[in-house]
Amino acid sequence: MSKQGRRHGSGSTGGLLILLWDEEAGAQRLNCTVAAAGSWCSGVEIKALQLDLKGRMFPHVSPSLEPDPEDLIPFTELHGSLRLLLSFQMKDARHWPSDWQSDVEAVLQAFSLANAGIQIHLKLKFAQKTSVRDFRAKIKAKVSRADQPPLLLDVSCPEQKRWFLSKPHGWAKRASWCQGGHPVDGGRLPLGIPPQAMDGGLLGDLSVRLVTLLHPCVLQYPNMPTELKSIKVLVYNPCNIPVSGPSGFFQTLPSSMDCQHLGLRGLQCPAHKDPEFRVGTVFTTEQWENEKKCDDEEQESSHLPVQQSLLLFLLLQHRNPFCSHLSDFVAADMLIEHHLEEILCNNKPAVMAAIRTEIGNAMKAQNQRKKQQEKLNSAAEVILSSTMSIVSCSSNVDFRNACFDLMKVADTHALSSHLGESLRRVMSWRFLPVGRCYSTQMEENLLHHGSTKSEI
Amino acid sequence: MLGKQISCAMESGSTQFFFLIDKLRIQLLNSIESATEKDYFQEEISPFDSGVGLQMSSGHSVTTVKSNCLASVTKFAQILKILSVIYRLVQSNSYATKRDVYYNNTQLFGSQRSVDTIVDDISCMLKVSRRALHVMATSKGLIAGDLCYLEEDGTRIDCRSSSAAVSVSSNVSGIRNIVSSAKFVMIVEKDATFQRLLNDNFCRKLSPCIMITGKGVPDVNSRLMVKKLWDTLQIPIFALVDADPHGFEIMCIYKYGSVAMSFEAHSLTVPSVMWLGLLPSDLQRLMVPKHSLLPLTRRDENKLNSLLKRPYFASQPQWQKEMELMQQSKVKAEIQSLADIAPDFLSSIYLPNKLRYGGWL
Repeated sequence: MSKQGRRHGSGSTGGLLILLWDEEAGAQRLNCTVAAAGSWCSGVEIKALQLDLKGRMFPHVSPSLEPDPEDLIPFTELHGSLRLLLSFQMKDARHWPSDWQSDVEAVLQAFSLANAGIQIHLKLKFAQKTSVRDFRAKIKAKVSRADQPPLLLDVSCPEQKRWFLSKPHGWAKRASWCQGGHPVDGGRLPLGIPPQAMDGGLLGDLSVRLVTLLHPCVLQYPNMPTELKSIKVLVYNPCNIPVSGPSGFFQTLPSSMDCQHLGLRGLQCPAHKDPEFRVGTVFTTEQWENEKKCDDEEQESSHLPVQQSLLLFLLLQHRNPFCSHLSDFVAADMLIEHHLEEILCNNKPAVMAAIRTEIGNAMKAQNQRKKQQEKLNSAAEVILSSTMSIVSCSSNVDFRNACFDLMKVADTHALSSHLGESLRRVMSWRFLPVGRCYSTQMEENLLHHGSTKSEI
Repeated sequence: MLGKQISCAMESGSTQFFFLIDKLRIQLLNSIESATEKDYFQEEISPFDSGVGLQMSSGHSVTTVKSNCLASVTKFAQILKILSVIYRLVQSNSYATKRDVYYNNTQLFGSQRSVDTIVDDISCMLKVSRRALHVMATSKGLIAGDLCYLEEDGTRIDCRSSSAAVSVSSNVSGIRNIVSSAKFVMIVEKDATFQRLLNDNFCRKLSPCIMITGKGVPDVNSRLMVKKLWDTLQIPIFALVDADPHGFEIMCIYKYGSVAMSFEAHSLTVPSVMWLGLLPSDLQRLMVPKHSLLPLTRRDENKLNSLLKRPYFASQPQWQKEMELMQQSKVKAEIQSLADIAPDFLSSIYLPNKLRYGGWL
C-alpha cells in the first residue's frame, strides 16, 4: 500500500492501528482489526485492496466481524478518517507461544524503524485485560534514494542504549548527548534473481540497499573510546516491511567475515531470544583484549569504552515495469520473501562483501578512536609523571599544600591517583558540539513535533 | 701591491685612519647620554621602538595548548616534561643544553626544534630569560680580535690568536673582566667570509678591532655577545653582510631583533649597529663584474617587499634607499664577488676604505 501510494507521490505519514480483541471473555480465538489513516495511504484504491487482501489471505472470514467503534475513535481523531479497515479472525490462541505478544511488538518495532512517519498503535483487549502500546519515532532521518521517494528512518537511540540518561555525569551534562543516530548509506547492490525464483514468476530488477545506524552516537565526544558490541541485521521487503530470516544465510556470516582484518576477534550468533533479538539476526562481537586495562571499577564508573550496536538495514528493492496493479506488487513481494534465502545465497559473495564493508567502516571508526586513546594515554603518563616530579621534589610547603588542597587529597600518593583520574576524565569526556547531532536542546521540539533531518 | 701600500698607510697614520670611527663613537656615546630614560614597561608598548627594536606587545600572542585535544596533547606533555626538567635544573643549580633536554626523551620530543621552541615559549610565558631556566643553547658563533675575558668558571679567554677564532661562550651573561682596546666590532654574516678575513690577518691589519660571526642567522649567544660588547665597550658595531635580502635580514636581527625572541629584545638587540657593506650602491660604484651579480629570485623579491614594509625604515631612510636600489636593479651579490675585482680586495681595499672614509650607513 505504501509502495503504491508512493508511486503517486503521496507523503509517508499517518497511523496504523492493530487491534487484537476477543468477542467474549474466555474465547479461544482472537480477532484482529487493522486500520490505516493518513497521507501514507492516499492514492490507494482501498476497496480493491481490501477485497484483494480478504480474498488472498482471509477467504473464510465472516463479513460481519467488526471491532468496537469506540476503539477506533481515538485513532481517527488523531489521524483522520480511516482509509483502510480490515478485520479477520486469527488462529486458536491456545497454540500460540506464550510470548506471542512480544513477537508482535518486535515486528511492529522493526516496521516502525523503517517507516518512521507512521505512528503505530497496538491495542490488546482479551482475557478481560487491555494493554496499549504506541510505536512512534522521536527522531527521524530521511535517507534519499535516487530513483525512489526518500526513506524515513527512526534514528532515536533505543532506551536500553541510553545509559547516560540514568546516570548523568557531573562533568557531562545530559544536554550534551546526542539522542539519535546518523544513518550511513552503503549504496545499492544489484542482485541476480535465481532460476527457482524466476520460474516462480519473479522477474524484473532486484537490488538491495544497505543502510547502517550506530547507537549511541558519540560524535560529540571525539576522544571517547567505543566498542562495537552487537550487529543487528534487519531485512525489509520492497514495501519496507520487515521479513523474518533468512536465518540460514546469516548463520554463515561469522565464518564468511574476515574478522581479523576487521579488527575483531570473532562474531557470534547467540541462540537466546531476548526481545531485541526476536526480529532480525543479531551478532555479538568478540573484541581483542586491551594490553593495558584500566582498573575495572574505574572503567565501570566511567562507562568507557562506550558500547555501541550497529543496525544494518538490508532494504530490498524491486522494479518490474509489468507490475502495475496492487496485486502484482503484493505477489512480487511474497515471491521475494519466499525465495529470499535463495536470492541471497545466489548473490552471496557480493552481499557478504557489502556487509563486510559496512561493518569495516564501523570498526574503522572504533579503531581510529582506539589509536587516539593510545596517544592520549601516552601523553597522560608523561603529564602525570612530570607534574608529580615537580610536586614531589618541591620543598615549598605552601606550594605542596596548595596542590593538595586543589585536588582535595592529603598526600602525594593520593594526589597521583586523583590527578591521573581527573586527567583521563578531562581527556575522554572532551565535548565538541556537532551541528547534525540531536542534543537535548531539541527535546522540547521532539516532544511536540518530533524531529526530522535529512542525513543523506 | 695596492694592499701593501694601504697597509703601510694604516700603520703610519693609524690615528688618522680611525678618525671617523672615533668620531662616530663619540656621537654614539653622546646619544646614549642624551637619550631620555624610557619606561619600557609603559602601558602601551609599541611593537617597534627604534631605541630597542622589535619587542613583544603586551596582551597579544597568547596561545592555548589543551590537554584534551588530540592535536595538542603531545605538545602539552612536552611542555610539562621540559618544565619538570627545568625545575630540577634550577633546584640543583645545574645547567643543561637544549640538546641535553632533547636527548632526555627523543621519542617524546621528536625533534630538536620542538625542544627549542618550547624552551623559548616557557621563557616568554614565565617572563624570564632563557639563562634563568638553566637551559643553554650550544653556541655556533665565532669571535676573534682584540678581546680578553674571563668565563664564569674562571677560564681566561684570549681572542687575539691570528690563526684561529674562539667559539662564542655558551654563558655570555657569566662573562666578566672584559679587556679590549678595540676601536670597533665587525659582525660578519658568513663563516666563509669570517675565515677569509682571519686568513688575511684582518684583525692585525686593522687592529685594534673585534670580529664576530653567527654563521648566518645568529643564535642567541652570538647576539648576547654582540650586546655584551656594546654594553661594555660602547664602540661602533659594523655589519658586513651580503648585498641580498637575506643578508639584510640577518643584520636586522642583530640590530632590531627577531619576532621569535621579541620578548627578550632588551637583552638581545643593539640598535646602534651600522651597515658597513656590502651595499647595493657599492656594486655600481665598484663596478663589480656582471658575471658576479646574481638575479633576484622570486623568493628574494617577496622577501624584499616584506622587508620594505617593516617599521625599521622610518628611522633609516638611507637603508630604504639602498633596498629600493636593489629592488630596481633586480640583482644581488655575495661579499665573495669582490674577489672578482682582486683576490684581496675585501680585506686590503674595500674594508679599509670603508672604515677610513666613513662608508657606513
